[in-house]
Amino acid sequence: MATTELPLPALPEAHHEERGGIVDYLTTVDHKKIGILYMVTAFTIFLAGGVLALLVRWELAQPGLQVMGENTYNQVFTMHGTLMIFLFAAQVSTGFANYMVPLQIGAADVAFPRANAMSYWLYLFGSLIVFSSFFVAGGPAAVAWTAYPPLSTEYFQGTGMDLWIIGLSVVGIAGILGAVNLVATIFRMRMPGMTMFRMPLFTWGVLVNQLLILFAFPPLTVAFALLFLERNFGAKFFNAAAGGNQLLFQHVFWFFGHPEVYIIILPIFGVISEVIAVFSRKPLFGYRAMVFAFFAIAALSFGVWAHHMFTTGAIYLPYFSIMSLLIAVPTGIKIFNWIGTMWRGSITFSTAMLMALGFILVFVNGGITGVMIASPPIDFAVNDTYFIVSHFHYIMVGGLLFGMFAGFFFWFPKITGRLLSERLGRWQFWLFLVGFNLTFFPQYLVGLDGMPRRIADYQIDRWEPANLASSVGALLTGISVLFFLWNFAVSIRRGAPAGDDPWEGNSLEWVTTSPPPHHNFHHLPEIHSERPAFDHRHRDNPAFAGAHTDPVRHDRG
Amino acid sequence: MQPRRRAPAARWLAVAAAALLATGCAPHSVTEQGRAVYNLYNLFLYIAAVVYVIVATLVIWSVVRYRRRNDELPEQIHGNNRLELAWTAIPFVIVLFLFVATLQAQGKVLDQSAKPAVNVTVTGFQWSWRFDYDGTGAEVIGTPERVPELVVPVGQTVRVKLQSADVVHSFYIPQTLFKRQAIPGVTSDFDLTFEKVGLYHGACVQFCGLQHADMVFRVRVVSQGEYQSWLADAVRRGAAGQPGT
Repeated sequence: MATTELPLPALPEAHHEERGGIVDYLTTVDHKKIGILYMVTAFTIFLAGGVLALLVRWELAQPGLQVMGENTYNQVFTMHGTLMIFLFAAQVSTGFANYMVPLQIGAADVAFPRANAMSYWLYLFGSLIVFSSFFVAGGPAAVAWTAYPPLSTEYFQGTGMDLWIIGLSVVGIAGILGAVNLVATIFRMRMPGMTMFRMPLFTWGVLVNQLLILFAFPPLTVAFALLFLERNFGAKFFNAAAGGNQLLFQHVFWFFGHPEVYIIILPIFGVISEVIAVFSRKPLFGYRAMVFAFFAIAALSFGVWAHHMFTTGAIYLPYFSIMSLLIAVPTGIKIFNWIGTMWRGSITFSTAMLMALGFILVFVNGGITGVMIASPPIDFAVNDTYFIVSHFHYIMVGGLLFGMFAGFFFWFPKITGRLLSERLGRWQFWLFLVGFNLTFFPQYLVGLDGMPRRIADYQIDRWEPANLASSVGALLTGISVLFFLWNFAVSIRRGAPAGDDPWEGNSLEWVTTSPPPHHNFHHLPEIHSERPAFDHRHRDNPAFAGAHTDPVRHDRG
Repeated sequence: MQPRRRAPAARWLAVAAAALLATGCAPHSVTEQGRAVYNLYNLFLYIAAVVYVIVATLVIWSVVRYRRRNDELPEQIHGNNRLELAWTAIPFVIVLFLFVATLQAQGKVLDQSAKPAVNVTVTGFQWSWRFDYDGTGAEVIGTPERVPELVVPVGQTVRVKLQSADVVHSFYIPQTLFKRQAIPGVTSDFDLTFEKVGLYHGACVQFCGLQHADMVFRVRVVSQGEYQSWLADAVRRGAAGQPGT
């Protein structure tokens, strides 16, 4: 089968001359470069947020205030949450999406390259506005990342809070703009033959994640606008004494806040699906069920926000409880389908695969405790304790970071043309797995014992061993990230050349060069299934001719 | 901050070992309402543990058993409808079961007595608590340095009316396995019936500003007789303009 029969996708109008160097990155509208900018920026913010996490663990290693005062501690954990949730978690996936989605659907770029660039620069400058709050009188906000009024309005003076609101609003608008672009790209830019049900799972994850952003970020922007008006212009939306209602903020905030969890995790589900299928040398088990599970999770995620408010006493509990419990079903489908993919496969333990396996083991732990706290009586006991802290770090650190590193190890060769060191990768993986569990498992136990979250100090001696273990674990986790930085610094210059397809990949990015040319492809294969690169690689093997199970094979290809 | 002994390493190890043995078990509740939470938590925990062990075993078994041994491509299986239906339906049934158990426990936790024996209005403020014993004039006002004590009789229903004087707080006594947010402009009611005499730790668990960590209190559960004499004493002190702590 020839590989050049299909016309190459036309370049979008925004195509420009290569300039090279920094000027090129400052002026680029190339989705790959913007993807790299997103990833580098988000990862830098992750490192800053990680340093703040280490400060938190340093302070809590022992009872008493040793390292910093209460005000500094409150600022440190507030900014840790802010950086990680608002400025890192969703954006690192947007970076992957920017780079990989056009490649995976056989497009030359995204639908709106200039809007894409604008989205990135809004994100960068919004983040810088948030960071600038470290340098104003009074320092950054000390109100927790949830910023409940009236603590964040009447009771917190200082410009830091306003910079927080303005910066995050700008980042939110960047997210909406980026989502419009990626959704349009996936709907409109697919190459001939790339039907929806032939898209790689990562692209599906991005599509659903960006649709969630379109519905969840506008309410967040509204919440921030109301907060800003209340702080600076005497609005009374949340002021009970003036007829306002504090609960209104909690509702609007969590209407964004819970879908945000899935915004963060769905693209990671996509990464894990790619990695497990490739390193098991089998097609993804139950492809369509996986796609439907994405949509089920997305739909349910908008009906569960008030489970963050069970302890207000102002919630209709059964509805939010059953909706939250039900999310376990589509999530379980994903877990079992991943196991089904590995079953009777031929599994290679690359670092990317190890990270994916680590992902499953820690994510299931976080998911199971998520089922527990979906039950209001249990939530009454553990809400706002370290049990919750542990639960969502199992989802966020465990889920997102294992998935992110799986993605880095998987796609680094495509992006740079060089392989990351597997030896350093294994060091990183085992240190991370041990350090992570040592950090967060003891937090379940102190949480059950009643240790509240967000406290600068604790007077109860029996909480000390668990806290010390947590702090040692955090240090190990930090060291594992240093291994990654070391690996990155060495491999980007001296790593082994990767070739176009080092892993025997399934999706289209593996049929182009590493790194891909400016316009992405020199030639494209015909698309016959959800594994075009696999089909292309085995095009001369009669055993696979016509073996595609794709039920709609004769439409456009 | 009170001075404290340095714990020797051996004691840490002993505590850590004990903690691991009791892994994941909730503390026993000291209230009638909390018992329902304790039982429900354990039900969830047992099912969760079984599910986790099954998933982890399947993962580890499949990666060990099906590790790559040669270059041959394994059979390209795309799915199995019957299996996929099973692992959709079985979790669905488990979830429904857990939901029914949740509803039953929830009724017990939130049930309110028609005639509570003691009515206390609890007010959270930055950064301590105020306890007013309704209709008696007895009141207890704490500060971050002077930890307030809520004194209640054992075996009798205590109706807490919770409110906030400034920002959002949360009233939490770990050994009751219960907490409730104190929200400005909202009065929230719930019952606690303590079954055991004792001194229990309590804290604010909703971040409320600078000294959130210091916003702790104690609950002293005493016999009916002791409670009456404490109350009479507190009323006298209240009348003299010296609220107790």
